[in-house]
Amino acid sequence: MPPQNTGAEFGKPTNVDQQDAGEDASKQNSKASVFVNTEPMREEQVQNAVKFLSHPKVRGSPVIYRRNFLEKKGLTKEEIDEAFRRVPDSQPSEQTAGANQDVQRSAQSQALQPGVSGSAGVTTLSRTSSRYSFHWSHALVAVGFLVVSGAGTAILIKKSILPRLKSWIRKIVLEEEYDQLESTDSKPTVVEEVSQAAKAAAAAAAESAKANQEILACRSEERRYFLDVVSLLDKQVQEMKFMNNEIRRLEASSGASYSRQEDYQVNQASSKPVIVNGKRDYGLHSVTSSSQPASVEPSSAPHPKSYMEIMAMIQRGEKPSNIRDIDDSPPNPNQQPSNPRLAPRAKPWEVGQVQHNSTPVFQSQVNGKDLNSGVLDNSDNAVPPWQAKNARIREIDNGVENNGYNAASSQQPIKRTWVPPQPPPVVMSEAAEAIKRPKPLVQKEQILDDQSVHHSSDISDKVMESSELSKSERQMEGSSTNAVLGSAEILEES
Amino acid sequence: MPVFKTPFNGYSVKFSPFYEDRLAVATAQNFGILGNGRLHVLSLSPNPSQPFTEIAAYDTADGVYDVAWSESHDSLLVAAVADGSVKLYDTALPPTSNPIRSLREHTREVHSADYNPLRRDSFLTSSWDDTVKLWTLDRPSSLRTFKEHSYCVYSAVWNPRHADVFASASGDCTLRVWDVREPSSTMVFPPHELEVLTCDWNKYDDCIIATASVDKSIKVWDVRSFRVPIAVMNGHGYAVRKVRFSPHVRNLMVSCSYDMTVCVWDFMVEDALVSRYDHHTEFAVGVDMSVLVEGLMASTGWDELVYVWQHGTDPRAP
Repeated sequence: MPPQNTGAEFGKPTNVDQQDAGEDASKQNSKASVFVNTEPMREEQVQNAVKFLSHPKVRGSPVIYRRNFLEKKGLTKEEIDEAFRRVPDSQPSEQTAGANQDVQRSAQSQALQPGVSGSAGVTTLSRTSSRYSFHWSHALVAVGFLVVSGAGTAILIKKSILPRLKSWIRKIVLEEEYDQLESTDSKPTVVEEVSQAAKAAAAAAAESAKANQEILACRSEERRYFLDVVSLLDKQVQEMKFMNNEIRRLEASSGASYSRQEDYQVNQASSKPVIVNGKRDYGLHSVTSSSQPASVEPSSAPHPKSYMEIMAMIQRGEKPSNIRDIDDSPPNPNQQPSNPRLAPRAKPWEVGQVQHNSTPVFQSQVNGKDLNSGVLDNSDNAVPPWQAKNARIREIDNGVENNGYNAASSQQPIKRTWVPPQPPPVVMSEAAEAIKRPKPLVQKEQILDDQSVHHSSDISDKVMESSELSKSERQMEGSSTNAVLGSAEILEES
Repeated sequence: MPVFKTPFNGYSVKFSPFYEDRLAVATAQNFGILGNGRLHVLSLSPNPSQPFTEIAAYDTADGVYDVAWSESHDSLLVAAVADGSVKLYDTALPPTSNPIRSLREHTREVHSADYNPLRRDSFLTSSWDDTVKLWTLDRPSSLRTFKEHSYCVYSAVWNPRHADVFASASGDCTLRVWDVREPSSTMVFPPHELEVLTCDWNKYDDCIIATASVDKSIKVWDVRSFRVPIAVMNGHGYAVRKVRFSPHVRNLMVSCSYDMTVCVWDFMVEDALVSRYDHHTEFAVGVDMSVLVEGLMASTGWDELVYVWQHGTDPRAP
């Protein structure tokens, strides 16, 4: 039940203004409103939406579908809400992530504009409450309807079906009696009928036997004829063979002129017996031909299945065979992440974001960054720890500067060539944290002359706050004062 | 140019914001339909015979659809896993201690993960359960759930200049702009007629956002006047899977598509296509441009290959 009342809509821009005033940056105020639609409502779109929402079929659909449809058509939130407001009895329930924030916002907005939004809030509250009661009564009506319908069907059953059952039972009983009466009279007739049927069956059997005999006789005749034909053909074949041999002899002795004619005839004659025998042979051939592909087909290695094959497998319910059971749960759910070895680096678009001396600062900062990246490469892994820590300190300092401070170009060369002495590791880590964390303290103790520049701009203050908030996550130890003093010493030594 | 062969189909590739030579690759078995997943952390080396060294590889029970590097810890990774869990990995810890977290709140596949580059302490995950969730490293449960889309949310991306603003692209064909300080989205508009698969903010102009969709087009919008796009870029043959604005050049952007190509565009120019790379032999699904090295880009696809090359050179050149 996420009720978003119209009071909240009125209150939103003013709330944003209040928040921004609290955050003390006029620039932020203008930027926050950039991501909110500020165009005026289009009356035509609103009217189309009203027509859409007034359609009876649309009324029956869930509110989220209606909102989604209008959003897809390109309406802004204000236009959608206006349309919902205009169409009577349709709820503009906006899905919100935090119900608490809704309540807060509605409370705030009502406090802000007691006159207008108070009444609006009251009306919407009453609407929501009436919606609730409407819900309950609706449910009651439905339940009552179900009960009545159930009772009605029960009554109908009693009235209509039971009599039918009774009549049906009565009918059966009557039929049984009737049958019993009839059976005594009809006994002799039944016997006669049975005998007649038996006689008919016997006659039919005799006829069928005769027919079978005739068929057998015919078959035997056919077989005889077939055998005669085969014997005649065999004789012909023998004669052909004989003739063939004689011709060969003649050929060998005399010449080739007759041979071709004889060959042709021989071929024609020989084709016929081939056909007769060929039927059997063909069967054999077909068997062998079918067996050949089976033996020729290579047993190929399992190839990677294509996407469609896998989809087909899944749809059939099979699981692909290459899936393993992997336990990827964390061995220690409370495992702390390891401490970061590097400070965050400035993004290329952040560099020069709040610059006043635009190009030279940008270039020097870019150069500084590149050089630092080069240093970082050198300090990767196979480097003695003190050098790595030096690089880290340098990087941290630059990170501090680039995070929004308007670093003067003079600062960069100093930072790049700064080589600190070798302090013990413990102090270094504390110093690193201190440098990262308490920005105002570090500022005050910095001896370099861009302090005034930092304090002068509102933007740097705002960024300072935000970076403080972000870096509050990484507080390791609370010993700030000693570390700060230590860092001041280190800085002063440069 | 180095090529890395992954055992599974590639889904996403991201350069590390701390190390110029490091990148993470999210992969899933069987094209991500059903199977295991693996998260690779690779390091580029100047040695030409072995261009890639695998720093770490983490196996997951289900496919990994996306990965995001932490902006606060140089060794921390966020993996978006297809079984609905969000897993955190620390490459500085031994493999037996990984993952260090498995956050299970999404009810369907988690499709994207993005780390806040300004606040550096929070990240977003978007899922096929229509929601976007906001998390921080120290809490075991999400800070907020943004539930307004009516279909899968394919991508949620932080604005690089406003720490509280992000955009989400969804299969319900709308793009929503949110402010985490507000209870509901501050803007919604339909950039395409079909599903919006990806979106990205311009790094140099905080109001410009690019969206790409199944309708094969990429559109660049100014959120202050979102009725008409600034630029429409057609040229891909199939759905465009990912777009990324260049961190170094204001107008440059890179996109990868199901037509197996990776294209680089300049949206302020009439003829926007700057270059086209067709090195993949299957859907090109992930692409990224390095924040630390200008012009360095990486792409991966369902052909199980990861390419890293400099813009202007041939990715397949040895």
